[in-house]
Amino acid sequence: MTAPGYPAPKISLRHIGKEFTVRPTKENPQGSRLTALQDISLEVAAGEFLTLVGPSGSGKTTLLDILAGLTKPDNGQVLVDGKEVTGPGRDRAVVFQQYALFPWRTAAANVSFGLEGATGLDGRKLSRSQRAEKAREYLQLVGLAGFEERFPHELSGGMKQRVAIARSLAYEPDILLMDEPFAALDAQTREQLQDELLRIWRSTGKTIIFITHGIDEAVYLGQRVAVLSSRPGRLKQLVDIDLGDRDGDVDLRSGAAFVEHRHRVWSLLHEEVLRAQEAGHAKIQPDGSAPDETWDATPQTTHGKAA
Amino acid sequence: MATPTLTKTASSRSWKVGVGEFFGNCRGVTSCPTLSSLVQYPARKGRARRLGLGSNHPVPAPVGVRTRVPGTGGHQGILPPLHEVLNALGSLISKGQLQTHLAASLTRSASGFEIAVVTAVVLGLLVAWYRSLDRFLNPLLEVFRNTAALALLPVFTLLLGIGEISKISIVAYAAFFPVLLNTIAGVRTMDPLLIRAARSLGLSNFRLFQKVILPSAVPTIFTGIRMAGTSSILVLIAAEMVGAKAGLGYLIVNSQMSFLIPDMYAGILTVSLLGLLVNYLLVAVERHFSRWRTAVGSQSL
Ligand SMILES: Nc1ncnc2c1ncn2[C@@H]1O[C@H](COP(=O)(O)OP(=O)(O)OP(=O)(O)O)[C@@H](O)[C@H]1O
Ligand SMILES: [Mg+2]
Repeated sequence: MTAPGYPAPKISLRHIGKEFTVRPTKENPQGSRLTALQDISLEVAAGEFLTLVGPSGSGKTTLLDILAGLTKPDNGQVLVDGKEVTGPGRDRAVVFQQYALFPWRTAAANVSFGLEGATGLDGRKLSRSQRAEKAREYLQLVGLAGFEERFPHELSGGMKQRVAIARSLAYEPDILLMDEPFAALDAQTREQLQDELLRIWRSTGKTIIFITHGIDEAVYLGQRVAVLSSRPGRLKQLVDIDLGDRDGDVDLRSGAAFVEHRHRVWSLLHEEVLRAQEAGHAKIQPDGSAPDETWDATPQTTHGKAA
Repeated sequence: MATPTLTKTASSRSWKVGVGEFFGNCRGVTSCPTLSSLVQYPARKGRARRLGLGSNHPVPAPVGVRTRVPGTGGHQGILPPLHEVLNALGSLISKGQLQTHLAASLTRSASGFEIAVVTAVVLGLLVAWYRSLDRFLNPLLEVFRNTAALALLPVFTLLLGIGEISKISIVAYAAFFPVLLNTIAGVRTMDPLLIRAARSLGLSNFRLFQKVILPSAVPTIFTGIRMAGTSSILVLIAAEMVGAKAGLGYLIVNSQMSFLIPDMYAGILTVSLLGLLVNYLLVAVERHFSRWRTAVGSQSL
């Protein structure tokens, strides 16, 4: 499923499947199994910016956890640079939706958290001053110079998310995994951070997988948008995004290309919502089971229907 | 450790003036009930008998009531005026006795307290982290934590004698549970997202404990440590009253038995000051380590 024109994949997902055990409840004393992800195969090229959208509960966070090595898949495997992922590693860093800053550490200490115990180019551990220098550098990169000594509770939501991004970048991973990082922010701050993220992506050449539930955000940021189906999550379609020249001062979001791509992704997602309703998925029970689930009987007729 | 001896020449000390003043000032009972309510009479009746004081002697003097003490030939106050107490304190200090007793008490409580804090924090982290350990230890811990430390004092004395070890142990026991329970609570209430974040940054289990779980539980742990500080002093004083040759508890009880009432109050005053000081220090340390917490309450409004 490699997009044409990309070199050897940085990340390959091979037939990823994940199930969860649903705890027994009063109504359902035996408990049950819930398929969160089913047979996901996807390849991401080095330096690519891939966005991932899907209905709530479609398994986006689960997929990101698997990529990060925080969760093991039940089926399939994840390869990074051809090597199987068995746990968290220095080549991948995660930015969480809820910032996940360490509240007892200042902004600078949060950024240098991942550097403690890390080795520099010469193979020796980074000294305290080297770490502080790095922290300052990355805080500056995300536009937070001068906020080094602030504690997280002294920062705004947007600032916290910048610190979280700086922390992931300071770790110097090849791959940045981001789980709805801008969802909790107001529209202005979000757009500002989106542009900063794109700038950082261009200047550092990282491979980024970015989860969002915002269609605009997915289309604006991604070179490709991966659309997941509603639960159980499968890869429904990959949409290539080409918005043309990004360097101009024009408002990309109101351009024809943007509107067209946006509509395409919107249709794919909307279809999922409709399908879920038709299949009775609107009646998903609190334990996660949908009794009249008819997934395998439903033909996949979605390709080419959109736009 | 050198055993300090209290001067037995009680009657030779010049505090008859104070007695007069005591009666003078305290004619109306209302003017002096507070300090006297501090006086405790643990097992005094038995002691009084053993000392041959005669069983018809009015022993447990109720609040603010004057009492006669035979052998001194005059009225003795159970509530000497403050300057008498301060004088006694001064002379105890100048003779070096107070320092010796204070040092004895501090050594014991500090050792017991340290042992308790270290073991309780380590065990608390493990119990909170490993569910199986929790299931195994929980019934045991429930029984012990609901057994008042002082109730076990005779057991400690029986098992470990009346020496230093039994005193340090009972202090450690009393300080152990507040720290343990607060450590467990501190870890249990921590944000699991932070653990995921730390893991995603490649931390090992040990580093996770050291850099994430422990610091995030520190404010809660310190609440426990502060509670433990108070209770360890309390328990130690009680233990020293029962069987010891030095220490503030011994000073208090021994002064009382020797009718050096101002000395007794000097001891009590020292205990109060020590308690205040310890609490103040622990609060300061707690505040230092909890700086990062969002201020709640009137200050944040
Ligand atoms: N630890 C777990 N135990 C049981 N079920 C789980 C667990 N984690 C996730 N799930 C289930 O797996 C499914 C996918 O969850 P996931 O968090 O990946 O969804 P998502 O796509 O990130 O949703 P959202 O957009 O709302 O964040 C959900 O139905 C959820 O209930
Ligand atoms: Mg999610």
